This record gives sequence, structure tokens and C-alpha cells, in this order.
Amino acid sequence: MDASNLSIREINSLFTKKELKPSELYSKVFENAANSEAALHAHLTLFEEENIKKAAESDKRFSNGESASLLDGIPIAIKDNINIKNYKTTCSSKMLSNYTSPYDATVIEKLKEQNTLFTGKTNLDEFAMGSSTENSAFGLTKNPWNTDYVPGGSSGGSAASVGARSSIAALGSDTGGSIRQPASFCGLVGFKPTYGTVSRFGLVAFASSLDQIGPITKTVDDSRIIFSSISGEDSRDATSVINNQLNIPSDNTATIGVIKELMEDGISDEAKNEVNKVVEILKSKGYKVKEISIPIIKLSISIYYLIAPAECSANLARFDGVRYGLRVDGNTSYEMMENTRAEGFGAEVKRRILLGTYALSAGYYDEYYGKALQARKEMIDEFAKTFKDVDYLISPTTPTQAFKSGEKTSNPLEMYMSDLCTIPANLAGLPAISIPTGLSKDELPLGVQIMSKPLSDNSLLDFSEIIENEVQFDGQPKGWL
Amino acid sequence: MSLKPTIGIETHIELNTNTKMFCRCAVVDTDEPNISLCPTCIGLPGALPVPNKKAIEFITLLALSTGCEITSKGMFHRKNYFYPDLPKNYQISQFDLPVGLNGELEIVIGEDRDFIQIERVHMEEDTGKSSHSGSGRIESATSTALDFNRSGVPLVEIVTKPVISSSKQAVAYIEELRQLSIDLNISEGRLEKGNLRFDANISVAPEDSTELGTKVEIKNMNSLRSLERAIDYEIQRQTKALEDGVEIVQETRHWDENKEVTSTMRSKEGSADYRYFSDPDLPNMFLSDEFIKEVETLMPLLPKAQREELMTTGLSLSQSNILSKSDDWIKKLYVEVFDQTKDSIASYNWITGELQGQMRKANIEVLPEWFNDDYLSEIIELIKSNKISFTSAKIILTEILTTETTPSKVAEQKNLFQENDSEKISEMINQIIKENQDIVDRIKSGEDKLVGFLVGQLMKQSNGSVNPGMAKELLLKELEG
Repeated sequence: MDASNLSIREINSLFTKKELKPSELYSKVFENAANSEAALHAHLTLFEEENIKKAAESDKRFSNGESASLLDGIPIAIKDNINIKNYKTTCSSKMLSNYTSPYDATVIEKLKEQNTLFTGKTNLDEFAMGSSTENSAFGLTKNPWNTDYVPGGSSGGSAASVGARSSIAALGSDTGGSIRQPASFCGLVGFKPTYGTVSRFGLVAFASSLDQIGPITKTVDDSRIIFSSISGEDSRDATSVINNQLNIPSDNTATIGVIKELMEDGISDEAKNEVNKVVEILKSKGYKVKEISIPIIKLSISIYYLIAPAECSANLARFDGVRYGLRVDGNTSYEMMENTRAEGFGAEVKRRILLGTYALSAGYYDEYYGKALQARKEMIDEFAKTFKDVDYLISPTTPTQAFKSGEKTSNPLEMYMSDLCTIPANLAGLPAISIPTGLSKDELPLGVQIMSKPLSDNSLLDFSEIIENEVQFDGQPKGWL
Repeated sequence: MSLKPTIGIETHIELNTNTKMFCRCAVVDTDEPNISLCPTCIGLPGALPVPNKKAIEFITLLALSTGCEITSKGMFHRKNYFYPDLPKNYQISQFDLPVGLNGELEIVIGEDRDFIQIERVHMEEDTGKSSHSGSGRIESATSTALDFNRSGVPLVEIVTKPVISSSKQAVAYIEELRQLSIDLNISEGRLEKGNLRFDANISVAPEDSTELGTKVEIKNMNSLRSLERAIDYEIQRQTKALEDGVEIVQETRHWDENKEVTSTMRSKEGSADYRYFSDPDLPNMFLSDEFIKEVETLMPLLPKAQREELMTTGLSLSQSNILSKSDDWIKKLYVEVFDQTKDSIASYNWITGELQGQMRKANIEVLPEWFNDDYLSEIIELIKSNKISFTSAKIILTEILTTETTPSKVAEQKNLFQENDSEKISEMINQIIKENQDIVDRIKSGEDKLVGFLVGQLMKQSNGSVNPGMAKELLLKELEG
């Protein structure tokens, strides 16, 4: 058995029994990177030298029986919009191509305490804006299942890396589906926790009220382990919450809702079939399943593409060439800022900054941004009502399997539609997970998404694990090990 | 056509908290640039703001002290504009939900009091400081140096309604606000350090008009003197324009301290659209009743109440006003001396006149530790009982400001006790007449003025110990006889 195919708990058990050393695992993972990076371009940087040292330290801890952490010596890939002290954080943007962070994100601090290894920084759509990892200033990432296809995005590098086993697990960030959609495209588990349970301190903001860090893993249990390590209230993030988890049933006393609006037009038959397959399994196990209608879900993309760009237009204003990052000279300070932003940002980022600036402008605020806020509030209320009737909501994660590179780059609206199913969880702050359930006729992975009420993350993971065990998806992209 | 001016004032007060508004960097008072910085206050990617509770306590205190209604569900907004010393290129401020609304502040001019209505009191963060070289303005500077020590320091903005009608009122308002912030202990209140900064909105309209004229904003007034002059200049400029039939343009004008004129900075067309929206990094701020009650317990005796108390001792409104705007030790000394002497006018005159005058002359900033209210009370009692002259009292005061002794001891040592015995004075007069026979002759031939000379001689020979009133009376009698 190849160690890089194992789950975190399995690896830890081998470490503890001294049947495998962290340094051996790291060599294997690094070898996988060497085999796959040229074709996939999952990582922007690899931290080989430091990791050889850190893995040796892990070896020592396990050989002395001193390790207390499940993540000790586990190589985890980090999306390049999360700060690691003294390493570059580029956000896949020309703007930050030379930027080194002087501080650690809270999630990185927490993982360092667990003696986790960081394989390196992974590719993403510039500033996490995109659904295919094609909007990177440093070249696109390919889907490990078939390199003609995109890995999804924006955490496409993280997903491709776990898929090709150049890391055991990865951190991504999810603003409208950026963890779940690439996880689904790459046959992996992608978990977006309840908004506020994982600190955003040190995550380069795209849309602050929607962004959330979470894991991309091979198994639900791996996601559970990482979530429990990175979550918790943080005094440096005013939006972080005390992680007081609610217990809802995960056994067959639970009621499941199938979201009607996400099983209609615009969703492929293949994607619907995966949901139906899971529903049948659940019914056979005695779960109560019913169809639920949440009409406002149809407005998700419209709401999202007002709120997210509005927030991003302010969040990205700090990239001006004054203090760090790219600077393109000009005759005056303002010219310098204009030149820097004109050259530093890619087309999609500019499109969203313009959209957001427009939506917030005098005379348009009420009509656009104000209305979007109102609709968002209604959606939150609708979900709260729905969760009085059902415990979990099920839907496809994505309307289709992965699409081909270049297929949607010239049509932003079509690209935006690929996040139709994932956006509602961000707007309502819900925990949501994508688990792989099968393959399409093109031999590409498909997944289903499950959502539950805020702060029921642990129950959601328990319930997802039951489905995972029943579905027995053991697909793995070939040719990288 | 009779015209009347209308003025509104926006004041920024820098709070004297230990740390900045949204990070834990120390607030420093130094010329050394960029020594108190962190990822948050220089806007590094991924950094987040966390509000300073002390600053919210201070602004609540100010809002309560001006009789404002407190917005219990306040909110922070982002005010978007690009400027090199604004690290995020948005300022965290408050918009439609400020901490305080609809207050008022009593001001005093001479023996009259007036109330200035306050529209709002809100909280925001300060910017960094720019030093433009080659030119004082950013548009034409050859280079700009930036210091971010001030970036993120908490500011309170207080906006009056357009109710001020003269430069005198404006100055009295700022003086009152300054004293209030000092008494509340929320600011050093030092204008020369920029602890208080103010802009004025000025318009002029016909006396009988119910509508205000076109508003012009004046910036760059750095002292009370420039506030007064800039307002007077602007009223005159606008009045003349209206009389000449020239249209007044809505614009921002810059006060030129040296030329003593205002000139156009930017017109309304060029004014920014700040695209305010609620800051998604800062969840709604809730000021609970308990919090407000707690803040109320910190409320000191306000300047207005201090004046009322002082007036009950017999001082006029203007005298009480001057004392209320004096340093704490002066206020305290007055109350103590008055308690002993029950003579408000003498206590007031000695403290605000002779004592402060002599201290200034001798460069004494702090009263010596032995100096207390007993000394001044004793001096006042000695004068009242005719035991010393006013001149002697001044000499005694000089002595006790530099030597640890008592007024009586000084009077004794320096022989300053006043001679009130007419026989003894007559003896001395006879001696003086003998020694100055020529002068006496000239007086008798009509040179009345020389009487003063003889009184002077008498005072000199007696070391000023003779009661001057009695001396003159007896001398005249002697000369006539």
C-alpha cells in the first residue's frame, strides 16, 4: 500500500507503531510532486528543504513516543492566499508576486502547534476569484483525473495536489464554493465550515462576510481532524465565534431535504443522478427524505455577484504599490497607484472590482447592493425556517462534471453559474460539505453537497461519513504515484 | 440687503487611549517615524481589525456628556477613497448609525451663554501622515514620505448643526469642546499637536431667508486664531460676492495661514463618492444598557456644572468660565482659598492675576510643594485687615514661591507689616519734611504733583510698611498746617 493513499488516522497509526517514519512519508509525497507538478501545476512553491528538517524532528518524536498530535508529520498543502510567516503569499497575482508575509495566519499557527508539515503553497484563481484556477498569473492548474479538464477553483491547486497525492490534505478557502467545487471536480471531500468557526486572520480577504477556510481531503474523517485543529474563537478576528457545536442526529432519525430548486434546469442529469443515488441509499437505511423548496435560492448568483464584488472592491483597494507588492512608477502618487493596479491585477479581478465599485456608488447603492443585502437576509431566514423541518439538505455540489480548460474563460456568466449550488451556504453562513459519490461517463468525478444549520459542523461530518461509507467511492486519479 | 452667516463645525478629537483603535499597537508621541506598526494598521494582506473597547467607552462618554441619544446598535462602515497615507484605501468610520445623535453643548461668551446643537458624534480611525517634498501638495510633490505611527489612532468626530453665527461663537465652541475632552480625560486636548482638528462649513444668506446659502467648507485651520480669521475672511468674501451678484460655488477651500486668505481646493464636481458600506470585518456593535450605565459612572463634573458651582461662590459667568477652562490645580486652589476667605473676587484675582503672572515671569510651571491654599488665604486676610499693603503682598508672594516659609514670617523678616499708628506716621512725615525742605517749598508754590514724590520717599524709608492712604492724608494735613 502506498502511504500517500492512506488517511490521516491510518498514517498516524503507522507512525505510532513505528512502521512508517514521517520522513519516509514526506519523501514519498515529494516524489509524487516531482511526478505530477510539471503536468498539473498544483503548487506554486514547494518547501522541500525546511520539510526535510521538520520531518526528521517528527521522526524523533515518534521514535521517542513523544508525539501527541494526529497531524504531526502530516504534509498539508496550503492555498497561496493564506499567510505563512517568511514565505511568499502571492494570491496567484502579479500584484503580490514578490510579497513575503511577516506573520502567520491563525490557522497556520494552529497547524504549526500540531507539528504539521506544509508541502508548499498551491495555485488558485487570482485572489480566489474564479471557478477553474485558470485566472492565475502563474499559469493554470490541471485536473489530475484528466489534464484536459480544469480542477475547479478557486482552490484548484489544493484539490489537484491532494488528488495527485503530492500532499496528504490541503487547506483551501471558500467564498462561493471554492473548496467544495474543486473537491467535487477532483473526487475529494471539501468542507466549508460554519462562517466564523475558523479564524480568517491571515487569510487574504476576497469577500470578508463570505470567506471561510476549510480542508480538502481524501476522507470525511481527514476533514474532521483538520477542522478540529484549525477551528476556535480568535481574538484577532472580530467575526470569529465560539465554536459551541449543536448536536443534531446523524442516524436514521434524521430528516433529509432535497432542494427542489437545485434539481431543476441547469443541472445535468448526471449530477441529479448522484443525488438520487444517495437519496435511495438513505431511504433504504430508514432516513426520512422529503423535497424542500427554497425559491430564493434561484437568486443566489445575483445576490452573490453584488455582495462579493462590493466587498472585494474595498478589500483589494490596499494593493496600490505604496507599501508592498508590485509598484509601477508614474509621475504622481496617483499615477503610480493607477499604473500599479492596471498592471498588477488580471481581467477577472478588475471585472469584479468594477462591478463592486458600481454597486456601491451613490445613486446605485439602494438599487443594487442594498437590495442584495435584503435578499441575503431573506435567504438566511428561509434557511432557518427550512431547518425547523429538516436536519440536512442535499443537492449536487456542481451542475456538471469538470469542464475543459478554456471552455468557459470567454464567458464569465457561464463560469459564474458553476457555483449555483455552493453559493447559498456562503450567503447564509452554513456549514457545507461535498463528498465524492461516483464518476461521469467521461470518467470524471461527481459529488453531492450536504448542508446543515450553523454550528452543526460535527454532526454534518458524522452524517457525511455515513454516506461516504455507504457509497464506497474509491476512485483515484491514475498515473501520479 | 442684510446678510447673515451660518456656520457648522466638524471637529476631530484624537483619543488618548494606550493602544490604537483596531489593533494593539501603542499610541506613540514621537517624531521618529514608523515605530508603532503591525499588519493591521499598515493594511497588510490578511490582517483584520478588532475594536478597542476603551475607545468605545471614551466616545460613549463624550456622547453622553453632550446629551446625545446613544445608538445602542451602532455600526462601523468603510469609507472608500485612495490616498497614500490611508493604508487600506478605506477608512473605518461610522455612517448612518453613529454612537451619538442630537446633543448640545453650552458655550460662554463674556456674560452670555448659548447652546450649540450637535448633530452627531461618531468614531473613526486616523490616517498616517504624509510629508510631500518639492511642494506642499500631493498633486505636485516630487516625493512623499509616509509615517504610519498615527494610522489607526482612534478619533471621534463631532459635527454641529448649522447653528453658529460668528467666528467668536465658533472659537467659544472649540474652547468648550477642548475643555470637555480634557475634563472627560479622553484627550490631551492640545491643538498644537493636532489632538483637536476642525473644519468649518460656512454659508451666507439674506437675513430674512429661511433657506441656507451655498455651503463652502474651509480646511487647514490649525489654531483658534486661524479659525477666527478664516471664518471672518470667508464671511466677508461670500458677503461681497453676493452683494456683487457673483454666484457662490459649493466647494472646499484651503485656509492659507500666511496670506490669510482662503482658496479653492476642490469643487463639488471633483468631490469623492465614498461608497460607504458596513464593514463586514466588524459585526454590529451593541452598546448594552449595562455598558452605558458603567460609562455614566465615569462622568466627571462637566465644565457647565463647574461654572454653575463657581457662580454660587459669587463669581460672574465670565470669571467662572475662565476658571472652568483653567488647569485643575487652579480650579482646586480657587475653591480652597474661597472656602477659607469667603472672598470670591479676591481669591479669583489673586489666583488668575498675580499668582499666575508671577509664575509666568519666573518660569515656574508647577507650584512648589509647600505652597498651599493657606498661604494665599493668609495673604488675602492680611490685606483685608490692613496689616500689609497690596505692594507688600506681592513681595511676600514672590518670596513664598521660592522659599519654604509663611506670609507672616516674610512680612516680619522684611518688615512689611503696615504701620497704621497715626502718631508714628506723623513722626516719620516730620522727618521727611525736614530732609526735603526744597520740595516742600515747591509744593507750597504750586507744584502739587510733588506730593507723590514725598509719599514715595516715605514708603521707601519705611520699607513700604506705612499704610499709604493714611500717609498721604497726614502729609497733606501737615503741609497745609
